[in-house]
Amino acid sequence: MSTLGQELITAAVIGVLQGSIYAMVALGIVLVYRATGVFNFAQAEFGTTALFGAYTAHVVWGWGYAVSFGFGLVVGVVMGLLTEALVIHPLRKASRVTLLVGTAGVALTAIGLQFWKYNETLIMVMPRISDGFHQTKYGSPTDQQLITVAVLVAVTIALALFFRSPWGLAIQAAQQEPVAAELVGINVRSVSLLIWGIAALLGGLAGILAGPNTTFSAAFLSFGAGGALLPGFMAAVLAGMRSMSGAVAGGLVVGFVEQLGNLTLLVDVNGARAMMLFVFLLLVLLFKPSGLFVPRAVTA
Amino acid sequence: MAVLEVQDLVVGYGQFPVLHGINFVIEEGEVCVLLGLNGAGKTTTVSAIAGLLKPTSGEIRFHGKSLRRRSPSARVKDGLSLSPEGRRIFPRLTVSQNLRLGAWSKRRDTRQARQQLDLVFGYFPRLAERGNQMAGTLSGGEQQMLAVGRAVMSRPSLLMIDEASLGLSPTLARAVWEATAQIARDGTTVLMVEQNAGALPFADRALLMEKGTLVHTAVGDDIRNVNLREAYLGA
Ligand SMILES: Nc1ncnc2c1ncn2[C@@H]1O[C@H](COP(=O)(O)OP(=O)(O)OP(=O)(O)O)[C@@H](O)[C@H]1O
Ligand SMILES: [Mg+2]
Repeated sequence: MSTLGQELITAAVIGVLQGSIYAMVALGIVLVYRATGVFNFAQAEFGTTALFGAYTAHVVWGWGYAVSFGFGLVVGVVMGLLTEALVIHPLRKASRVTLLVGTAGVALTAIGLQFWKYNETLIMVMPRISDGFHQTKYGSPTDQQLITVAVLVAVTIALALFFRSPWGLAIQAAQQEPVAAELVGINVRSVSLLIWGIAALLGGLAGILAGPNTTFSAAFLSFGAGGALLPGFMAAVLAGMRSMSGAVAGGLVVGFVEQLGNLTLLVDVNGARAMMLFVFLLLVLLFKPSGLFVPRAVTA
Repeated sequence: MAVLEVQDLVVGYGQFPVLHGINFVIEEGEVCVLLGLNGAGKTTTVSAIAGLLKPTSGEIRFHGKSLRRRSPSARVKDGLSLSPEGRRIFPRLTVSQNLRLGAWSKRRDTRQARQQLDLVFGYFPRLAERGNQMAGTLSGGEQQMLAVGRAVMSRPSLLMIDEASLGLSPTLARAVWEATAQIARDGTTVLMVEQNAGALPFADRALLMEKGTLVHTAVGDDIRNVNLREAYLGA
């Protein structure tokens, strides 16, 4: 096979591995966007904060890995619920721009807290779930990355099932017609808390699973080494900001397109990966602004 | 005992009062129609009863108990149900899903919900044929049937329907009113809101509303009185 062909397959493999993280972030972004009509700037910081929680429990306090992982998720979910209670709910009558600024404020607050609490620690490393890796012709996926893909698959299936369950239907009802939802007796506030809790859980999974891939510091999953906020947002745009399955597909495609920047072909181009992403997003917005992965009748 | 008692009800938007102290009672088993022109305050009245609007003053009692501190969802559980103006069905859910959500307040009793679903399909056979269709793709008349059917799913003791006839052909409007009359015969007390006098033959009693006050109550033959329609509805 030609070198280019082999490089493309490698880009696809690595792209899917990296894209799994983007997909999880995108799922959270889409979920919240459907509920509030707002892009949640804090989505990736749910992940970084959860990662800090898991790291603190495991490395600083010496707790077991699984318990620490769970603790990190709890920290992330608590942050999501607090965001709803302290920012989203009080601002529910405000404009979307105000809400957007509100979520940015949440992200900055979280980043500030992370810097403040961990100012002394220069390099933080979250250990992997398993240290194995698999050398192949097309890149060397680590166990950590394969587990991440498996978690994404499980999460996608769980979400699809959930949206067919009574509470999943109630969420959709509240998103589509809040007044009518209230009139059939759905507590729209509980639904809102539920949505932010799930979104934060998705962010938390992304953060704790991505953390071990590199060293990390404050703002890791937003703008740091794990930077998944922008790719996650792009994936959500590909999903028309509303399709859950589209967000997953979008995340994987964004991961792939980003890897195309690593082709030998582009070795002389500085910042080729970022450029590939922006060119791709630009093309999508030009030719199919409603999104690529949008099922005609969007239910979940 | 009266199902619903409304006493000196004042409701406004901001500082601006829309209802100026209205009084009426709805008795068990009757079909009552609240008639009035655009802007008379009919929707404001039923919204306050359903708990979507907070009254400035006055009292609403349901089966003798004050509703003042009851949330909208608590009122549904109590047996008060509103099919809102403009239908407000869940457009990207199927017809069956819309109906299932109508029984949300009593979702633990799945057997009852299934029985209620059969009942609704009996009132509106067209909905049964379209169970798996997205609600947003239904025709206007079918959407109205769905809105009423969804409101019936919670097994209310008082069913309020805000302008079922809006935007429907006379034939379709009559079909919806006939189904409403059947629902009432099966034991549900009904309060219809209408500006269409065509609903009068389906009601036991009419309350006429003008600019935020009740100006007349008609019962029996009076309802079918042409002068009354001319006087209050210009119809
Ligand atoms: N959200 C609102 N804010 C301010 N004023 C309102 C609001 N909703 C209704 N009003 C005013 O209250 C008055 C009564 O409105 P309401 O909707 O109750 O009338 P209605 O009898 O239901 O009319 P229609 O037959 O057109 O539905 C109107 O003058 C209307 O302009
Ligand atoms: Mg009205």
